[in-house]
Amino acid sequence: MTRRAQARLGILLTIPVLALVVVFFVFPMISALYFSVVDFDGIDPSPEFVGLANFIEMFTDPETWHALSNNVIWIIVGTAAPMIIGLLISVLIWTTRRGAGIYRLAFFLPFVLPGVAIGIVWTWIYDPVSGWLNRALEAVGLDGLVRGWLGDPDLALYAVLATAIWAYSGFVIIIFLSALRNVDVELVDASRIDGANALQRLWFILLPQIMPVFLMVLTLTLVGGFSVFDIIFIMTGGGPADATNVLGTYSYTQAFQLSRIGYGTTLALLITVLSIPFAVAINRLQRRLALQDTGA
Amino acid sequence: MAHPPPSFELAEAATDDRPGPVPTRRPGARRTLAIGLRHLILVLLALLTLFPVLLVVSTAFKTPEDVRLNPFGLFSSFSWANLVDAWTVGRFSDYLVNSILLSVPSTVLVVAVSTMAGYAFARLPFPGRTFAFYTVVLGLLVPFFTYMIPLYFQLRSMGLLDTLLGANLVLAATGISFGTFFMRAFFTDLPSELEHAARVDGCSEGQIFLRVMLPLVSSGMGALAVFTFLGNWNNFLIPLLYLPSGDYRPLTTGLYMFTGGRSIDIGPLAAGTLITIVPVIALFVLLQRQVTEGFISGAVKG
Repeated sequence: MTRRAQARLGILLTIPVLALVVVFFVFPMISALYFSVVDFDGIDPSPEFVGLANFIEMFTDPETWHALSNNVIWIIVGTAAPMIIGLLISVLIWTTRRGAGIYRLAFFLPFVLPGVAIGIVWTWIYDPVSGWLNRALEAVGLDGLVRGWLGDPDLALYAVLATAIWAYSGFVIIIFLSALRNVDVELVDASRIDGANALQRLWFILLPQIMPVFLMVLTLTLVGGFSVFDIIFIMTGGGPADATNVLGTYSYTQAFQLSRIGYGTTLALLITVLSIPFAVAINRLQRRLALQDTGA
Repeated sequence: MAHPPPSFELAEAATDDRPGPVPTRRPGARRTLAIGLRHLILVLLALLTLFPVLLVVSTAFKTPEDVRLNPFGLFSSFSWANLVDAWTVGRFSDYLVNSILLSVPSTVLVVAVSTMAGYAFARLPFPGRTFAFYTVVLGLLVPFFTYMIPLYFQLRSMGLLDTLLGANLVLAATGISFGTFFMRAFFTDLPSELEHAARVDGCSEGQIFLRVMLPLVSSGMGALAVFTFLGNWNNFLIPLLYLPSGDYRPLTTGLYMFTGGRSIDIGPLAAGTLITIVPVIALFVLLQRQVTEGFISGAVKG
């Protein structure tokens, strides 16, 4: 009786979520597989079947590899920098007695701002003529470094990355600060008395204690690196001359600007295939975290 | 995996200014100096972090002439001209309304649908539950990119392209996988004695859900609502792709089009940026705890 009633309510309560997931996720996912084997221009109702041609083109297209290499740079720099900055600043906040709430607010703020606003503000800051960055460099006598940051193909990607790091580090700080609340303070004090310097305390005492959270943030940041889009699209559109193209912007350009829907979808599938192993790793980590939480 | 993460209650603890590991064993001038130095570094870094935001506020409130002639002056004049310009000529008043029409319904939908499903997945055994749950959670693993292109054509054939309804449904659909996962963890944690007691008292299954369990997860629903609202308000790609005509353009894509539409006129652009970020900043400052809590548990839960 109770079981029947529970099953009935269970099905009833999951119908909306399943309806939305099937219509707006499962169905387009299946279409994505279909789109990758046809040559669809967005108009033709019965596009030509081309087999693996899109995949072959993708792997022989030098721009795919170029975009992918930009993703790799993005992932490495865009993960390492916020992790290091986040760790240092969170420990710094943690060791000062007062003002932690204010600092948290200040450092976290950029993370909640819309990417468009971030991209636009930093585009002015990088502006070659009226930008604050060049102005600041001149003010401190580094005139030699003045340049058009987003217009220089060798630098543009790193300029956008710096913006992303600015926007993202606050998130890492907040997570680390919450993990640091768990740290055994007596252990830190004991090591200080034993003569461990600040770096040794960080490395041998603090880091091991926040390791599960550290790994979690690390994996989370890595996955985000493959599907980066907004900030690059807004600040450079993949330019100048494709210099900042990543798989996301390349896929968008192919599908929506060149009407090569099939090829654009195939590129998007590559993003999925690359990011899923990391997402699965997150899941594993969560299970480990959950186990530690239960005292195992 | 269905646990509120260890850092969850920590997030709350973190809002009080509990002191870190600073021992009082070595008082004196050197110690004070070290702490002062740390504050100095942190204040400088915080100012550096907030500088772009200050730049927006300052530029938005300058007179147009001052913006042109003295671009580097901070708070060097005051005028509403840029804001009025963005609000009327720049159509930011319309964009603001559209942003609300896109964020509020989709957030309500995400919270309602996720809470219902989270309860079912946590506490109600029914046939096919595991399979259904994995289908929903699959949405957490697959990036939006994978299916955003086919979804465009699907919406077009469903007649939902360029409609508020379509964009709201897509926004909701991208949030419910996480939402269901998140709410399920809250329901899993409730003691089953409550449920049994209510059943003994003659509550129906529906009453147990609505009257007994639902009020106990209101903090989770609040955190999910704030988290989802921010995400939807800030979303750029979904309105860019699925509201192409511009009739329902929200602040994010409106701001983007504004930069491309005319030669860069920094004053109104800064004002438009300010209009876009003020609601976010207000929400963040007012509901700081829910926001950070949502993001922390969001991170640890995936």
